[in-house]
Amino acid sequence: MQERTALPPQFDRPIMLGGLLAGAVATPLLVVLVALRVVGLISSPEVVFWMAFGVVLAGALGTVMLSNIVHAALALVFTLLGIAAIYLLLGQEFLALAQVLVYGGGVTILIVFGLMLTNATEDPIVSDGAQKPFAFGVGILLALVFAVALLGHHWPAVGPAVISGAEFGERLFGEYTLAILTVGVLLDIALSGALLIARPDSPEESAE
Amino acid sequence: MIPIENFLLLSALLFAIGFYGVLARRSAILILMSVELMLAAVSINFIAFAAYMDPEAFTGLIFALFVIAIAAAEVGLALGIVLRVFRERRSSMVDDASSLKW
Amino acid sequence: MTMEQVWLLPAIPAGVFVILSLFNRVLPRRGDFVAVLGMGTVVVLAVLAIADFQGAFHDGHFAPAPGANTYEFTWVNIGDGVLRIMFSTYFDAITAVMVFVVSFVALMVFLFSIGYMHGEERYGWYFAVLSLFAGAMLLLVTTNSLIFLYLAWEGVGLTSYLLIGFYWERQSAAEAAKKAFITTRVGDVGFLIGIILLWRVAGTFDIQELIHLAEEGAFSETYLTVSMIFLFMGAVGKSAQFPLHVWLPDAMEGPTPVSALIHAATMVVAGVYLVARTLPIFDLVPIAQNFVLYTGLFTAVMAATQGLVANDIKRVLAYSTVSQLGFMFVALGLGSVTAAMFHLLTHAFFKSLLFLGSGSVIHATHQQEVEHLGGLWRKLPITTVTFSIGSLALAGIVPFAGFWSKDEILLEAFELNPFAYAVLAGTAALTALYTTRVVLLTFAGRPRDQHAYDHAHESGPIMLLPLVLLATLALGSGFVAFDGVGRALGFVGGIGQVVTSHGEPHSFAFHPNIAVPATVLALLAIGAGFEYWGGNAIRAERARQWAPELHALLVNRYYMDNLYQAFIDRVVLGLAGIVARFEKSVVNESGVDGGAQTLNWMGFRLKFLQTGRIPNYALGMALGVLVLSIFALGGGE
Repeated sequence: MQERTALPPQFDRPIMLGGLLAGAVATPLLVVLVALRVVGLISSPEVVFWMAFGVVLAGALGTVMLSNIVHAALALVFTLLGIAAIYLLLGQEFLALAQVLVYGGGVTILIVFGLMLTNATEDPIVSDGAQKPFAFGVGILLALVFAVALLGHHWPAVGPAVISGAEFGERLFGEYTLAILTVGVLLDIALSGALLIARPDSPEESAE
Repeated sequence: MIPIENFLLLSALLFAIGFYGVLARRSAILILMSVELMLAAVSINFIAFAAYMDPEAFTGLIFALFVIAIAAAEVGLALGIVLRVFRERRSSMVDDASSLKW
Repeated sequence: MTMEQVWLLPAIPAGVFVILSLFNRVLPRRGDFVAVLGMGTVVVLAVLAIADFQGAFHDGHFAPAPGANTYEFTWVNIGDGVLRIMFSTYFDAITAVMVFVVSFVALMVFLFSIGYMHGEERYGWYFAVLSLFAGAMLLLVTTNSLIFLYLAWEGVGLTSYLLIGFYWERQSAAEAAKKAFITTRVGDVGFLIGIILLWRVAGTFDIQELIHLAEEGAFSETYLTVSMIFLFMGAVGKSAQFPLHVWLPDAMEGPTPVSALIHAATMVVAGVYLVARTLPIFDLVPIAQNFVLYTGLFTAVMAATQGLVANDIKRVLAYSTVSQLGFMFVALGLGSVTAAMFHLLTHAFFKSLLFLGSGSVIHATHQQEVEHLGGLWRKLPITTVTFSIGSLALAGIVPFAGFWSKDEILLEAFELNPFAYAVLAGTAALTALYTTRVVLLTFAGRPRDQHAYDHAHESGPIMLLPLVLLATLALGSGFVAFDGVGRALGFVGGIGQVVTSHGEPHSFAFHPNIAVPATVLALLAIGAGFEYWGGNAIRAERARQWAPELHALLVNRYYMDNLYQAFIDRVVLGLAGIVARFEKSVVNESGVDGGAQTLNWMGFRLKFLQTGRIPNYALGMALGVLVLSIFALGGGE
């Protein structure tokens, strides 16, 4: 029986702290949302939306702010899954599914592999560059500009159209056959290229 | 019924956060993750507009699907490059790859 | 071939030049036959054109049908007449003389060159350039446009340069070519200024039209005087008149046939031709005309005195050419086209004969200093005879050609300017003296260089034929002064009837009171020549010692070359040094390098923007996106 190795302490505490923090923030919010629903101020989809909203943004902030890269990757997964929920709210079954599969599965795993291969945890944990303050300013300004642009416009008050997976599939492989095939070829080429780039040049190199 | 503004606001904030991440992070993989956030924000925009404004034309949805596909390709390719750079320089920090200067 | 088609004459040698310069290495005999055949065709065509010219006389006056002796088309037309340059040809008596002289002498020289230049490395190129020269010279004498005249003028200058420097491996030849080119260029600048001055008022380059306008009073007299003096500067340079005469003696570095053709018979008379062609304008401005007269007079004397002491046989002839050209300018200054063109005609024949004769001597002995010659008459009988005929013609002895033409000039001078007459008569005697000297030192007496003498041999027939033909003309061409001879040749009369001064034909008349003293003087000079140089060397040495200072002055060419050298060294190079310093410090270091250094400094500062860190670049991009978004936002509302 193999002896179980304990997690290194630098993994332990932040996770527990993060979990506690998330719970402390999320629980009152959840309570408020449920209360609002019970009172009848917001509808059920809206409750779901605001929950997903919170998860997506919290995950995004975690992705860009956590200093531990593995934690950041974990936060990214939360964001991507939250976005899948948003897709469902927008009535897109298939896209939500694709989001979970491709992002929640494939991309995340790729990234974690990348982290492993580059020994990222061994790097000195200074994960942010010197221009962080500038980046912060730019991000705030950009958010303001977009918010003004998007919300300043008067959008028609209609609901989202629900498109089922079957309908999506029919149209995708009917009208857009050529496009989907082209994307397939593109993916193929891109991944072959990735392989070519990442492959070691010489036996000595691969031996390292 | 959820007004479209909610989705647009979410997308704008997500995009800005991703943007911040791209600019602020040092690790190439973290930058890649931030780029994923921005792409997702764009996808949300596409789908929201497609579902609310023009469900018949379908174009926005196809775009979103393509964004997902291309993001996958991009991650694969970018990780390849990151691996390569790491192997050359024993580092995946983008500001270590600064030989192209004065 | 009519007078209208005279443009063919320059076109043929120009075509030959193209053929020879491209293909002389593949053609048999390096293509010399192409050049000779081309030149032969030109001679035939020239004779036909002259025959057509003979038919255009009515009542003893040259009166061609309108347009029968001209040919023109628009070459350049800018701003519909603002600047219109016509290619045009014009054929009259002056053209007739020039065309015949140029084509005939050129043919003789071509033939002579076959023998003289035999075995030269650049044999084909020689004939190519010689053909180009013939083409340019024929264009020069046939065109009616000052612009094309200038073009041809520079064309003959270029070929002269190329041929003087034909043996460019020799330092002195390269130097001489440069000297000739630059010296004549001084005159050419004046010529160009003159052309532009005339055009500025008249708006045309057409010579006949300019003459017409000038006679109508389109120009103010001062303006015209200045213009014509500038125009004459070109002639001074090209015809080697004082003070630009210094290049011609050095030009003898070229092959001897070239000296015969270019530096004796044709190119150097281009200046005479130019003044003769524009003489109706010179007639209107006495100051300019007197300028021509006294320039010619001074040059004639000065060059003749230098000819007395030169030891190089070709240099003697070169000084003699300068002197004789002075004679022609005197005639022109006196307003006599007839005398000038007549002397040009005879001079072309006897002087090219003399040069070809000297070429024969050089070919035989490979020596051209008279100190190494002597006694050659036994070895080179035909050369001796023909050379002597040329010398007698040059000395002006009855009945050789030079006598008649020189007599014509002396007659004009006697009637119009006694001072000029006196000077010219003296100069004619000097001419006879130095001619006698060179003939005696070359052909008579005992050989001074036994080795050269032993190897001397008479030239082959291809070289003797031109000598004999030219000797015939040197002997006979003077007789065209007589009406009977002229009529026998198909002209209306003697040369005075054909080449008219002021449009008034006159017949030759013999004036014993001019001809006799001149002849006596010449004979006395010849006698003096025999006295000093005919016998032993002691008397020649005594002649040299008669006035050592004078001798030194003459040998040193009046120190003109030293003067020019000093002028160039001090003034020209001094100014050039100042300009060079200005260029170096102000233009180059401040202007050019300063700008470059500023940019360099800025680049050095700005390069630190290129950190090489990708996040920095991304930030820059982000800021750009932000600014653009804000603009788009502002624009959308």
